[in-house]
Amino acid sequence: MKHILKFTFSLVVLFSIAGNAQDSIQKFPERYGLRVGVDLHRLSKSFYDDNYRGLEIVGDYRLTKKFYIAGELGNEEKTVDDDHLNFTTNGSYFKVGFDYNAFENWLDMENMIYAGMRVGFSSFDHQVNSFKIYENNGNYYGQTIIAPGEKFSGQTASWVEIVGGIKAELFNNLYMGFSVRLNYLISNKEPEGFANLYIPGFNRTYDGKFGAGFNYTLSYFIPIYKKKK
Amino acid sequence: MKKIAFIALSLLLAVSFWNCEKDDICAEGTPVTPRVIIEFFDATNQTTPKNVTNLGVIASGFTEGFAFNGTNKIEVPLRTNVDITELDFVLNGADNDPANDETVTLTFNYERSNVFISRACGYKTIFNLTNVLPTDFTGTWVSSLTIEQPNIINENETHIKIYF
Repeated sequence: MKHILKFTFSLVVLFSIAGNAQDSIQKFPERYGLRVGVDLHRLSKSFYDDNYRGLEIVGDYRLTKKFYIAGELGNEEKTVDDDHLNFTTNGSYFKVGFDYNAFENWLDMENMIYAGMRVGFSSFDHQVNSFKIYENNGNYYGQTIIAPGEKFSGQTASWVEIVGGIKAELFNNLYMGFSVRLNYLISNKEPEGFANLYIPGFNRTYDGKFGAGFNYTLSYFIPIYKKKK
Repeated sequence: MKKIAFIALSLLLAVSFWNCEKDDICAEGTPVTPRVIIEFFDATNQTTPKNVTNLGVIASGFTEGFAFNGTNKIEVPLRTNVDITELDFVLNGADNDPANDETVTLTFNYERSNVFISRACGYKTIFNLTNVLPTDFTGTWVSSLTIEQPNIINENETHIKIYF
């Protein structure tokens, strides 16, 4: 939140400076091209969290001054250890959509504060590793734990995401980004006898159709052509 | 547009926190593993409900059981890890006088299946009764027993009727 405030503030400052100095400043050409990167959060979590292994490749292509075609491609294997069940979800996903850059860059800056949308698709399996039988009034005979449980293959889900984020150029063509996502399930093929408690790319599901996610990206910009501002 | 982006971002953050509400506590009233519902009736006038007095129900080898008094409808749990449950039904067993105890051991044989409930509740076991033994109650406090509903999938119906 602090970052967003900081950015908004600098944005306001930039606007006022740019507004006053507009006539006299030199025009810089706008660069168009492809940016590809990786989600650092999923990558690093694969190392420090034994219950998680995942990778997400991100990319965007600048279409117009403000619009970018954007997408993510990923694979996740997540073991969820809840009080009453333990299961592993494994699957792949992709998301496509656009980003709209709301940041008015000054001089030759190429930063982004953007809002966007995605449509996401995921295909995945669940393996129930163990589960407990829930009995009312305590367990008179003791807790029954059953392992392993069933495997549920061939699950699919699709959703839309509203994305908000920032991308800042660290140095030559290397960008650091952060985005948060609000997800809304469109379709969710639930297995018979289980539920899609976790969907790769969508993350954890709740009782309703909403979900949330985020990523930290490190990406490299490949310039293709330039346009005058 | 930057205002919109800012609002969108704030909204996203707010919603993501709001989504963190705990939903991993099994809500009370959720149908979980059903117990066997047993109703007691008068042996001579079989449509008349008959209350039990100080009925103790206990599994063989257990020191703690269930006590029922002044009711004609009781519920007892079945084992969820094996297909057989043996329970001692001790008339007057829940009072302090061991001399008046009358014991009938009922053996429930059944098939089990485990059904997913939810993230918070895990699974429940439902049962399909194959039989309840003994079939001959001569010399015991029970006169007869009937299986009304062999599929034990909830606690809303009576599964077994006992006449005494």
